[in-house]
Amino acid sequence: MNDSRNFLSGNASEIGNLDGNSTILSTRIAIARNLANHKFPSSSSLDERNQIIRTIHDCMEGIEQLPEFHFHRLSRLTRVQRQMILDDYQIDEDFVSKLSGRAILLSPHLSLKDSAISILLCWDDHIRIQVSSRGSSIKEGYAITGKMEKLLESRLSFSFDKEWGYLTANPANLGTALEVSIITHLPAIAISPEIADFIKNLTKVGCSISGFSGINSEIIGNLFRISSSKTLGKSEEEIVEEMQAICLNIIEEEENSRKKLVKKDLLGAKDNVYRSYGLLKYAKILSFDEALELLSILRLGLDLGIVEKTRDFDLFELINIISDSHIISNFEIEGPVSDDDIDLKRADLIREKVLEE
Amino acid sequence: MICDFCKKNKATIHLIRVQNDNVEKVNICAGCAGDFSFFSEEDFHKDLTKILYKIFKADEGRPNGIRELKNLKNLEVRKNRSCSFCNMDLKNIKKLGKMGCPNCYSEFKNILLPIIKAIHKNIEHKGKIPENTTGQIKLEKSIRDLRNRLKREIFVENFEEAARIRDEIKQLEKNIYE
Repeated sequence: MNDSRNFLSGNASEIGNLDGNSTILSTRIAIARNLANHKFPSSSSLDERNQIIRTIHDCMEGIEQLPEFHFHRLSRLTRVQRQMILDDYQIDEDFVSKLSGRAILLSPHLSLKDSAISILLCWDDHIRIQVSSRGSSIKEGYAITGKMEKLLESRLSFSFDKEWGYLTANPANLGTALEVSIITHLPAIAISPEIADFIKNLTKVGCSISGFSGINSEIIGNLFRISSSKTLGKSEEEIVEEMQAICLNIIEEEENSRKKLVKKDLLGAKDNVYRSYGLLKYAKILSFDEALELLSILRLGLDLGIVEKTRDFDLFELINIISDSHIISNFEIEGPVSDDDIDLKRADLIREKVLEE
Repeated sequence: MICDFCKKNKATIHLIRVQNDNVEKVNICAGCAGDFSFFSEEDFHKDLTKILYKIFKADEGRPNGIRELKNLKNLEVRKNRSCSFCNMDLKNIKKLGKMGCPNCYSEFKNILLPIIKAIHKNIEHKGKIPENTTGQIKLEKSIRDLRNRLKREIFVENFEEAARIRDEIKQLEKNIYE
């Protein structure tokens, strides 16, 4: 991949179904909208923000075709509840950096396999409609955001400029105000010398790269969030098709890196995988970050067929289950919880789900 | 060579910088160079050392060089002004990295333009427009789209289609004036 143009060269119509591919773990589509003739949240007082939240919420209650949504003000949720929402709906951590005058509407989704729709109110913009789903389902996700927007538009009028498109608080989102992002698991690229070129080329085609939990988060467990970042001068359809082509190319790059790895250093790869296996099997306490790093390598071992005595597992599902918030709520740990309590449960949980026969 | 920023005009300045094995190339045309507010279009033609000094001084210590202009933190506030609708002033916009309201975009348009250009490498919305937009904006948008298509058809020398599009534009323009 010496030529950045390669990233966009895939034929989007040929992509079809990428289900079953373990490289693209999930997709998130988001569009931002602001009410016309209102200040953005950045310059509004708390009262004004609460008023905007009420206006939008009231409007939505009057739209019959909308799916069922649960309304929550961030300030009335507990820390664990907030964290669970962030994990389940793939919301950037920055959303809960401030609690007053912010709210969220969530469509209940029973399993991780469904698309999760959330509407974030008064973050940077008045409204952010977000759809997250498993695997690579960019087109489907975009169709859902479009449908939601159309329904809201029947009652609300959005701020729009004929030259600059939909106006957003941050000029980086002007235009379509659409962001397409995916979480990818790239263990072979991450350890290859090509990683620098890989990132450089993605940046060249207008993508931004971060860890999976938010804009400023570090990359752990070889999980990269790759997002489209250009919103002005491209139509929604172009952005969607480009990201689909990028997905295809990422999958191909990772496959190539894996082939190279096996060819060049199979023993080293095996050694690494079994070291991870050993730690997961015998460690008594595991932090979330460490668990992710180890599971990433174990997953690679499974994909390459070089590890035994391990059950096939879905990395994305497992990450969700072993997060702090889910462990606290699932085990109904009461009272003050120490990190060790959680880390102990996490180590047990992973053994139960993945290792034990 | 074509300008890296507008992708249209011929680049007249080509900069190559080598730093810690990192090679960066930038090609700029006079128009875009002026937009970057490092220097005026006038001194662009006068003094090369001055330009180099300004560019490299401005991006000292920043690995991405000129691309750093990509957010509001780099807004150049020579004279502080505030928006008549939301009262947010330029200094605060720079500090927060966010605009205060839709009206800020029209009041500070000229100051924002170079930054928006640097972020998106484009300054024209090509996506969808709100369903409830008035007919006028919808028409203008269709004309803009058609003009872009016209350019493309002429470029590939498909003159028959180009002529058809040209007539369509004329018809739409007539509708606007009526």
